[in-house]
Amino acid sequence: MHHAFRIGEREHNVELSRGANGYRLHLNGATVTVDLKTAPDGRKWLSVGDLHVEVVVATRGEQVFVHLDGVAYELGYQHPLVRLAATGHGAADDAVRAPMPGAIVSIVVKAGEAVSQGQTMLVMESMKMETTLTASRDGVVEAVHFGIGQTFDRDALLLSLVAGEPK
Amino acid sequence: MTAAKWPFDSVLVANRGEIAVRILRTVQSLGLKGVVVFHAADRKAPAVTMADAAIEITGSTPVAAYLDSAQILAAAKSSGAGAIHPGYGFLSENASFARAVEAAGLVFVGPKPEQIELMGDKVRARNFVEKAGFPVAPSAIEDDDPKTFNARARKVGAPLLIKPSAGGGGKGMRIVRDLSTLDADIVRARSEGQRYFGDGRLYVERYIENPRHIEVQVLGDAHSNVVHLLERECSVQRRFQKIVEETPSPALDAKTRASICETAAGIARKAGYRGAGTVEFIFGQGEYFFLEMNTRLQVEHPVTEQITGKDLVHEQLRIAAGEKLGYGQAQIQSKGHSMEFRIYAEDPARGYTPTTGPVLVLQPPAGDGVRWDSGIAQGNEVTAAFDPMLAKLIVTGTDRADTLARAEKALAKTVLLGCQTNTAFLRRLVQHPAFIAGDVHTGFLDANPQLAAEPSLSCATLHALLGAAALLTRPMRDVADAVPDLHAAMGEWRN
Repeated sequence: MHHAFRIGEREHNVELSRGANGYRLHLNGATVTVDLKTAPDGRKWLSVGDLHVEVVVATRGEQVFVHLDGVAYELGYQHPLVRLAATGHGAADDAVRAPMPGAIVSIVVKAGEAVSQGQTMLVMESMKMETTLTASRDGVVEAVHFGIGQTFDRDALLLSLVAGEPK
Repeated sequence: MTAAKWPFDSVLVANRGEIAVRILRTVQSLGLKGVVVFHAADRKAPAVTMADAAIEITGSTPVAAYLDSAQILAAAKSSGAGAIHPGYGFLSENASFARAVEAAGLVFVGPKPEQIELMGDKVRARNFVEKAGFPVAPSAIEDDDPKTFNARARKVGAPLLIKPSAGGGGKGMRIVRDLSTLDADIVRARSEGQRYFGDGRLYVERYIENPRHIEVQVLGDAHSNVVHLLERECSVQRRFQKIVEETPSPALDAKTRASICETAAGIARKAGYRGAGTVEFIFGQGEYFFLEMNTRLQVEHPVTEQITGKDLVHEQLRIAAGEKLGYGQAQIQSKGHSMEFRIYAEDPARGYTPTTGPVLVLQPPAGDGVRWDSGIAQGNEVTAAFDPMLAKLIVTGTDRADTLARAEKALAKTVLLGCQTNTAFLRRLVQHPAFIAGDVHTGFLDANPQLAAEPSLSCATLHALLGAAALLTRPMRDVADAVPDLHAAMGEWRN
């Protein structure tokens, strides 16, 4: 059971423990001393090993945002129990998610309809351009979750597929 | 001019975001009252807070509200506004709206409706410019003879660019490099034009490889006086949309600069142009061709303000009030170098796709030569409802090198947490040797995809990020703190 953070596509296992001064971060067999202190003026200073640097930080739910050395980063906390529960639930291909925020232009298929791999299922619009979403495999449309003209965020579940015969 | 001398004492801004704030700033500094309309999605936006009065408008989508001229006119009436400033986008280049404003007895801060119409129809505009003897690129226009359009388009030759006749802002444009896909591309471009502009008519023109985008700011008053305020170069683009703009252009020598600026002023003069406008050109291999004229204030107008010292919104208001420019071309002087960086909510590494999220922390950069034109505040939410441009960072220095050095610092000091932006990408851009050398073209970012890719994290950065994140994550800190200090100290000692 490890705690982990996702940065972009990569996941990093980490543990934190208390040290004599501040904390210790354990990762990949290495241990580094870390601490985060707030100065009287409200500015935050991060110590990592010998490095001592000002950071701006924010959190929201499981997300951690860090502005470090002129660049903003986002880390997603992966709780050990949540990660455990998520393993084994696969078939990600069956969920057609939005590659970017946008709006639905047209829906070509409807729930219960059989589709074959490569078939156009819906057309979305983002950044003033149309993008066609096609079926990644043969299957049956379980549900279309948005209507024409509706807007959605990135990774929103637009349409789901199931195996089997059309209803 | 004091407030009492204006023919209107309050101005309604029919826009949102950074440009609404920008316009209000000048309106209020002149002693005039600033009114805005807003959709509920913008209730907490800075423009709404800043305005002397704010009137809510509704729509089937947030964008639709800002396009609803009837509601905006009603808001002007109920608030007693005497003039309407449309900003850019939305209704700014809508001739019917300009007419409706004037018919309601209000002042439209912009050109005459027929000038909007002329320049808004890209085909008519092109013909107008060509007929006046100014340079335009080889092209084929569907309207001339729809039946032979595909054949005539083929004759222009590859590479060519398909554009909607009613278009602008890069919407629905397609480059065709292989004529075998021409017919299919025409069908798709027509469908996009139909949807964006309700008009599927097209035209094609020769596509100039590695062209630079140069545009010229012009001002005309109602008394036939026209001046130009020099050029801006906007060659760094993605999906035909500008990301960085600067003036002066590093691509022009003094002779070409004089020629292109005089051409722009000549086109405005020929059109009897009233107001602030921008004449856009495509520039390559020493030649330039007319692209289009935008009959409004541009997003990138601040760089011109920074080097000429003219407040373009003030000039627009003066012209709308019927005043004479009061100066000639010789009085337009430029000093220094200025660059604008558009801060977009987007992920450059994922094809510059828009991002959304809350603005948890916002710390704009400050300092000498740094201007921050923003439409967001801490606590706002960035949604997919509007254009992803959040703010503009304008940096001015003594010369280009000085400006680049200041820009790099200012971009590093720009802190926005909660929604990913392109600031780290912009920092990589200003450090790129070709950009530093001014050696760019409109396909520069496509040709240099490594700029958009996120660099891999150094070990030190990774440790710092994971350390900060672990310390900020309650479950991790609780586990660490649950171990008694003595044991922890022993652990340290044992190590």
